[in-house]
Amino acid sequence: MELGPFETDNAVNCRLTSQIPDVCQTEDCCLGIDEAGRGPVLGPMVYGICFCPISKKDKLKELKVADSKTLTETERENLFEKLDGAKSYIGWALQILSPNTISTSMLQRTKYNLNSLSHDTAIGLVQYALDRGVQLKEVFVDTVGPADRYEDKLSKLFPGIKVTVRPKADSLFPIVSAASICAKVARDCAVKGWNFAEDLGEVDTNYGSGYPNDPKTKAWLLKYLDPVFGYPQFVRFSWSTAQTLMDSKGVTVHW
Amino acid sequence: MSCNTSVIRVQASSVEQTQRVPVHLMPCEIEHNGTARVSQYLTATTKDCKHEKTVSFRGRGLRGQEISCPQGYTGLVLKEINKLGSDQEDRTVRVSSVFDKLTYWNLETPPNSDDTVVMAMDWPELAEAIHGPVED
Amino acid sequence: STDSVIDTQKHDCDPAFVRLRNPCTDAASLYMLSSGDVELFEVKAFEEDFHSWFVGQTVQRDGRLLFVTPMDPLYLILPCLIKSGIEGKFQPVDQVVMDEEFPACSRLLSCSRSLASLHHVAEEKEVGTLKFHRYSQEKTMNWLKKKVERTVITLKKRNICVGQGVKSTTYVRVKPQSDYQEEDYLRYAHGLISEYISEDLSKALLRHLELPELTSPKETEPPSKKRKLSDKPVEAGEDYTKFNSADFVRKPSKKMTAAQKSLAKVDKTGMKPMSSFFSPKVKAEK
Repeated sequence: MELGPFETDNAVNCRLTSQIPDVCQTEDCCLGIDEAGRGPVLGPMVYGICFCPISKKDKLKELKVADSKTLTETERENLFEKLDGAKSYIGWALQILSPNTISTSMLQRTKYNLNSLSHDTAIGLVQYALDRGVQLKEVFVDTVGPADRYEDKLSKLFPGIKVTVRPKADSLFPIVSAASICAKVARDCAVKGWNFAEDLGEVDTNYGSGYPNDPKTKAWLLKYLDPVFGYPQFVRFSWSTAQTLMDSKGVTVHW
Repeated sequence: MSCNTSVIRVQASSVEQTQRVPVHLMPCEIEHNGTARVSQYLTATTKDCKHEKTVSFRGRGLRGQEISCPQGYTGLVLKEINKLGSDQEDRTVRVSSVFDKLTYWNLETPPNSDDTVVMAMDWPELAEAIHGPVED
Repeated sequence: STDSVIDTQKHDCDPAFVRLRNPCTDAASLYMLSSGDVELFEVKAFEEDFHSWFVGQTVQRDGRLLFVTPMDPLYLILPCLIKSGIEGKFQPVDQVVMDEEFPACSRLLSCSRSLASLHHVAEEKEVGTLKFHRYSQEKTMNWLKKKVERTVITLKKRNICVGQGVKSTTYVRVKPQSDYQEEDYLRYAHGLISEYISEDLSKALLRHLELPELTSPKETEPPSKKRKLSDKPVEAGEDYTKFNSADFVRKPSKKMTAAQKSLAKVDKTGMKPMSSFFSPKVKAEK
């Protein structure tokens, strides 16, 4: 996947979009939302949407998008190619939240928590689709927080659209699975191709899964902990693992 | 207990040849005196926008502005040399580096003319009014 | 340790920091004499909580910025003259300008401005080649008044906020520059000059300027919010720059009710407006 502007500047958020298929502007459509990279302490979090006419739901099933969690990275990439190839009736959009933005949002004086950040990002993508003339009638959302509250919130924001929020929605609804694939492929791509803006020479990419409880990730954090500056912008400073390590091994800083 | 007889000499003879360095005033207290990889972390990631610079420090967004030293003034960084034991003895500092301008950083708020360090730069002119010679 | 300093560029030879008696607080403060004692400078620290410096590839915990600015030696010589003037006798100035506690005091006479400007504050008598001086309150008041007037000009020119208690954490509410009365400027300037003279002299100056004394409660700023240009103590053992405290009293930010607005012309004796100098300026609305 080509990440274009995000490769140039990974300190800020980035929106990537496909073309809007003509049929999506004339026929009733369904849209799925999922995210990738919520838990890791490294790299961006990506929100993805995928949409297609309701009439084409079966065609989508034929693409065998399935449960993206069981797929390998390569398999996912291939599926994304297929989705992207079906431009006549499938559209997608991604919002890449840079780790730097995650850090500064969550650490700012008027705190912006991860849930709010997530909801606002998802809402933004749905609005984008509407603004581009997609005839949305159904929206399916995967959730981490309480489903009914989120469903109410979205229903109120998007009257006239049937909103369905379910945990594990990516295994229930193919259109969510499709969104999940887009998000995951984008995240994998962003992490693999990460350009360290800091002047650190050759950076060791042996950081394991990127999850805070992964010993490889912890070791990497320790290796790249600068006592004054903390970490490169690849790291989410707002994660407690990152903060704790910095507080104990780095220089104390008072704000 | 300060001693009122000792003086602190300033070795200022080499000011012209002293190197100019980038100077940053941070909106946080960093409990350390020593080396810091400023160019690798701060300078390398700073973004220049129209009226300000932006950067993150330890995951917090900073907004900064470059300001010049007041007219007729130079910034000096003084370093003590040959630190001796007692307070009674004279001490010496040398000018380790020099600056004509500095970048100050605000935590989140955009830099503007009401920032205290900006207003502090007006002090020399006020001092001239208070201390300048009065006509006969 | 290192310090960041802003200084006038005049170094031919080695200047030195010395301690002299602060004419306002009577305690030791840090000053600087250029080589040969030709010029006197005062040292003021701009400091706020939670600041540090990056200098080149180093970090410096102490976030102070010191200003070394030219100072009129007459402010430091005055207390000596006043003390000796009690007896009403004419005396040679080099027998008067000295301080047991601060041996550097006598060096003030070497400043090029000192002898040349004594006549502003003292009566002079010449006997042969010798000059004798006697403190003159009248001359001093006129001299100080001129100082105040010079200061007012600069305050206006630099659009400095001379209003009262106008800053709050979320907004700045001041009168536009045109609304400031001449009295606001005079009081403010008087406050600034008062940092360099004794309390008695400050009160006398207020009367000489025909500004009535107003009473107001002294207000102290919680230490965590202190922000000022000051001569301040630095107790850290490693630090060579030891200032002594000027007791800084800062006006707290207040919302202005109508009643408070009329009370806005507040007594500044006992309040050091230097700190309010660093509260937000307001540009005059056109």
